[in-house]
Amino acid sequence: MSRPARIRLAAAGVILAGFAALALQVGAGRSTTAQAGAAADPALIDRGRYLAEAADCAACHTAPGGGPIYAGGRAFKLPFGTMYSTNITADAATGIGGWSDDDFVNALQHGVGKGGRHLYPSMPYTSYTGMSRSDALAIKAYLFSLRPLHAPARPSTFPFPFNQRWGMAVWNALFLKDRRFEADPALTAQQNRGAYLATALGHCGECHTPRNVAFGLERGRQFAGAVLQGWRAYNITADKAYGVGAWSDRQLADYLRTGHGDGRGSASGPMGEAVAYSLRHLSPEDSSALIAYLRTVKPQPGAAGTEANLAPPAAVAATAWAPAADEKSPGLGKHIFEGACSSCHQWNGQGQQNAYAALIGAQSVNDPAGLNVVQTVLHGVKLPLGDGAAFMPAFGSGYSDAEVAAVANYVIGRFGGKAGKVTPAAVYKAREAG
Amino acid sequence: MITVNINGQDQALDVEPDTPLLWALRDVVGLTGTKFGCGIAQCGACTVHVDGQAMRSCVLPVSAIGGRSVTTIEAVGKSPAGQKVQQAWLDIEVVQCGYCQSGQIMSAAALIQHIPNPSDADIDAAMSGNICRCGTYARVREAIKLAATGHCAASRTIPVGPPPTPPADGEKAA
Repeated sequence: MSRPARIRLAAAGVILAGFAALALQVGAGRSTTAQAGAAADPALIDRGRYLAEAADCAACHTAPGGGPIYAGGRAFKLPFGTMYSTNITADAATGIGGWSDDDFVNALQHGVGKGGRHLYPSMPYTSYTGMSRSDALAIKAYLFSLRPLHAPARPSTFPFPFNQRWGMAVWNALFLKDRRFEADPALTAQQNRGAYLATALGHCGECHTPRNVAFGLERGRQFAGAVLQGWRAYNITADKAYGVGAWSDRQLADYLRTGHGDGRGSASGPMGEAVAYSLRHLSPEDSSALIAYLRTVKPQPGAAGTEANLAPPAAVAATAWAPAADEKSPGLGKHIFEGACSSCHQWNGQGQQNAYAALIGAQSVNDPAGLNVVQTVLHGVKLPLGDGAAFMPAFGSGYSDAEVAAVANYVIGRFGGKAGKVTPAAVYKAREAG
Repeated sequence: MITVNINGQDQALDVEPDTPLLWALRDVVGLTGTKFGCGIAQCGACTVHVDGQAMRSCVLPVSAIGGRSVTTIEAVGKSPAGQKVQQAWLDIEVVQCGYCQSGQIMSAAALIQHIPNPSDADIDAAMSGNICRCGTYARVREAIKLAATGHCAASRTIPVGPPPTPPADGEKAA
């Protein structure tokens, strides 16, 4: 669910680019002469753990539902088959225990595993390529300090031609900018630190930057927002209407630390996982640096009609316990909302039970297509944030496509002040994607 | 230890921070009037008041309560709104099997407290989250109107209870 769309995009990229551009194939193997280093010191391991969290390795390399951390096994279901994340503990037989420093760095920076085997770009090496060798090796030292777990990688079920990993060499030649992060002299040291966190480590762009027709990241539209696996990764540029430019530092910091910014809604889905596994572990200094960098990202406009409305009329006119007396009854959507939603989200969208239930200001309710509203209604929320407070039941089994569409449109109208355009067909599609 | 004010008394609860309030009420404090229904905030059986607002205690972590005051069905009769609602419930004989009724009364008391004379739409908005599988909804609505206005507004399908005006000669036992 997290970021598997990248694989599909990348594999499609192989089809588009690979067979048409064989001439561009470059040598895949890079020399790996240095051997694994000696036992690492505790400070290095600590730094490695912090960096592994900042790079959010666990989100993909851990099976959902309490699987052992870093032992892999998360399924990525794609239209043409299923693949599984790999074991990155130091087990020699099934993990990366036999990898040299160069093998490890090569995987992060070039997408090539031990023995020259190409990785699929579900592993975000197009971002990790910016990582310094010393940071990469700190992560390796941390991973090697953990107990090795025997967990053989499950083979992917990709049919030909998607199982031809050499094709990735072509894609890499086109879309992998093999370059370490370099500080931008136009930015402050803090902003540059934030840039490193956002790109080389946090790989925000893998979800938040749109992709071009060949599924490479559109560098010119960095962080302008994109859709993956039925979820929308929002515009996080400095644009005031469509991005996070109008968010206060406090709202951004709270969102990154807790998954909720007062007046700006809450993270769920893949972003909720990014907060839970990664962003909330950032030091206050790094969190501030990340925010400082986001302030510098070139504003990108969004689609007209998706601006965040912080004072939607229906919600403003309501109290916590009732809609305004003169409010017309919009039928099925309201009927479902009052029975299933209002006891926690309240009629004014301020939310009770916990802060996560607040809907006002959330980008999700300001998206007329309602992608994330639908996903959240279908699948619910259960994130290890705020003492277990980030919980919402999944309604997918209890309500029909037409009912989910109706309540999503009602929520978009009520809390985003917009006419929702969710159709039952879109809900059906969202069920398939999730 | 987490201290929560329940029905006017501070209770030190030896529970995990993410323990739902309902568990603490029933298993730790021993207040079993609040019922477990669905566990996912969809049926309303577990409704309590937190600072006067109706909340589903099954999905409310104890740590999220903070300094706010919790009122349960055991103590709701101490508030004027709660007292009126309980009396109306008796007069109309709302209850059938009774399992959902703690939650119904808590939601109704919160409604009357916020909106002293609720319209049908207000009642729908406030009570739709409380499910009754016996189907007492018509009597729930009637009792809320009785509690709010002192007389019955809806026509009755079954003639029960007292005359539409409340008894003048003292209260019945609650």
